[in-house]
Amino acid sequence: MTYRCLLQMVLLLCFSTTALSMNYSLLRFQQRRSVVVCQKLLRQLPSTPQHCLEVRMDFQVPEEMKQAQQFRKEDAVLVIYEMLQQIFSILTRDFSSTGWSETIIEDLLVELQGQMDHLEPIQKEIMQKKNFTMGDMTVLHLKKYYFNLGQYLKSMEYNSCAWTVVRVQMLMNFSFLKSLTGYLHD
Amino acid sequence: MVGTLIPQEVSSIGENHFSLIYIFPPMRFRNLQSILSWELKNHSVVPTHYTLWYTIMSKPEDMKVVKDCINITRSFCDLTHVWVNTTDMYVSRVVGFREKAELVSCMGSFFLESDRPLDPPEFEIVSFTNHISVNVKFQSVDPRILNEEELQFYLAFIEEHEGNSVKRHQPQITGNITENFNYVIDKLIPNTNYCVSVYFEPKDPRKINRSPLKCTLFQPRRESESSESATIGGIITLFLITAVFISTVMILKRIGYICLRNDFPKVLNFRKLSIWVFPELPPLEKVATVEVIHINRKKKVWNYNYDDESDVENEAAPCVNSGGYTKHGLMGRLCPASTTSASLEDCSDHSAEEPYLPEPKGDAETPMAPGPGPWQSEGTSGGYQTRGTLQQDPTSEEDSDSTERSEGRIVFNVNLNSVCVRALEDDKDSEVTLMSPSRPEETVVLEDLNETESSLLVASEERTHLPFTDPSMECLRPQDAPSDQSDTSESDVDMGDGYIVRQVNLKKFN
Repeated sequence: MTYRCLLQMVLLLCFSTTALSMNYSLLRFQQRRSVVVCQKLLRQLPSTPQHCLEVRMDFQVPEEMKQAQQFRKEDAVLVIYEMLQQIFSILTRDFSSTGWSETIIEDLLVELQGQMDHLEPIQKEIMQKKNFTMGDMTVLHLKKYYFNLGQYLKSMEYNSCAWTVVRVQMLMNFSFLKSLTGYLHD
Repeated sequence: MVGTLIPQEVSSIGENHFSLIYIFPPMRFRNLQSILSWELKNHSVVPTHYTLWYTIMSKPEDMKVVKDCINITRSFCDLTHVWVNTTDMYVSRVVGFREKAELVSCMGSFFLESDRPLDPPEFEIVSFTNHISVNVKFQSVDPRILNEEELQFYLAFIEEHEGNSVKRHQPQITGNITENFNYVIDKLIPNTNYCVSVYFEPKDPRKINRSPLKCTLFQPRRESESSESATIGGIITLFLITAVFISTVMILKRIGYICLRNDFPKVLNFRKLSIWVFPELPPLEKVATVEVIHINRKKKVWNYNYDDESDVENEAAPCVNSGGYTKHGLMGRLCPASTTSASLEDCSDHSAEEPYLPEPKGDAETPMAPGPGPWQSEGTSGGYQTRGTLQQDPTSEEDSDSTERSEGRIVFNVNLNSVCVRALEDDKDSEVTLMSPSRPEETVVLEDLNETESSLLVASEERTHLPFTDPSMECLRPQDAPSDQSDTSESDVDMGDGYIVRQVNLKKFN
């Protein structure tokens, strides 16, 4: 009887360990695929950045996005989740002046929501630990950055050049997201 | 190898509509070079020199001139050390001059990470009898630009050119980027020239960077038929080998050479661990000790003397001789048709109970009445008369009553199975005529109790004789009797009630 319980416990531990490791690997693959899809969708949105040089603005992009830094996988999860959430919030605003396809925007939103659903369980588990890490600082910087984007669109009355500038920022964000997925390893 | 990038906008200056088409050469990923080139669409007016400016979209900065690309006559500019941030969007502007007059200006935006087309990998093609094998070498791709995970999302297309028709194949890349990938193109038309090109699918469908074509003439040989026949023969041979193997296994199993069934009884089941740890001892056999209890009973000495003076109660205790037999003298006379007299002495075993004297009955087959009974004389039909007196053993301490021959008829029942008979010495006619069990009308119980068993007396019409030589001698035993005289077999059967039946088969005595 004791041997049976012991064997079951050992198998459960091994399975749980394997399941957790597989979970991050699967998450990395899913995230990378989603980023590539989002980049393709963004590029389908027509824009002429060379015509909007006068309305460019410095949104105080976080230094973590400019320079490559080492992230723990828990911090990477928090940062990725925050960025997806903020991008989703921006793309739900008025883009009627741009002439962009609503289908492409909807596909983008669906893709973002799917990735957030995959990240949410792990993100909640990490938040419960309530350990102040570097990821928390990066999240704060991102919150400020996306607030500036929202305020910029609002001030520009959601015109096409403003959206063109914001679209460029989205492309930069997804490039940074692609690099963050590299930290989701076992 | 040149890639073409169509800029977002082409601007022209002057009467002649000059247009510039940015030719975005493929990045030499091995050296991570970024070279921007351009060409005129309309060659009617050709600038003499060019100057390149650029800026970024992330910040509101002014256009910057590329120092190495000021008043250049060439139509390309190396931006490897200028456009270093691959995650930002660069806006470039090329102005063509003729002497000092600005002829043409062109602007374009580039997001390097996604816009930079991938160099097609190196590959080799090999023509076989019925297919063409394309071996793609991913080692030529710089892993810093394209890692194995990104390769999953880049699909390698292989175009198959058959004359003017182009067929695309989209192989699934699942292996490591450092490994080679092999793809087979089958279903080909014989005697046809096929050309293959390999490239990565870019994110922008307009920016395909194809590899040069490699062609081969597909000529299937006659040997394909032989190869097919060889394949069929190999399959048949494999099938035969498998069938032979399976039949051999089945035969061995049927004859019991392998896979023997072990239907061991439970007692031979040693698989239980508890049996090895705690071997169960076989149940002990019930052993009961038997104590032979010698019961010394007071032997009733039957005084068969029917004189009035005799005391019936005066029973003599059985005496035990050295042989362990209790002797009771029985004197009587059997009176068959030919009167004979015989004296019988019944002997019983030491441990035997009182002599069994069955009651006389008409049926000679029922002599099993226990307990002694008074002698009775009873006349029966049949012609046999028995009379006798039971005489004590001379060795008895008690004086035996004198025996008198009774002139009367004495009927007594004696269990011949429990007694031994012998003739007295003073009787010359030491003959004992025994009753024949074939005469059931006799009441005297000198007969067999059980005809089926080996009886003490095997009666026959002939006289049987017991060759006793010594009155004190014990019952004749098979080992004592001369073998040439008697054919006796003796065995002891416990009849119960303490009697030991001496079963003697007397067949013939001389």
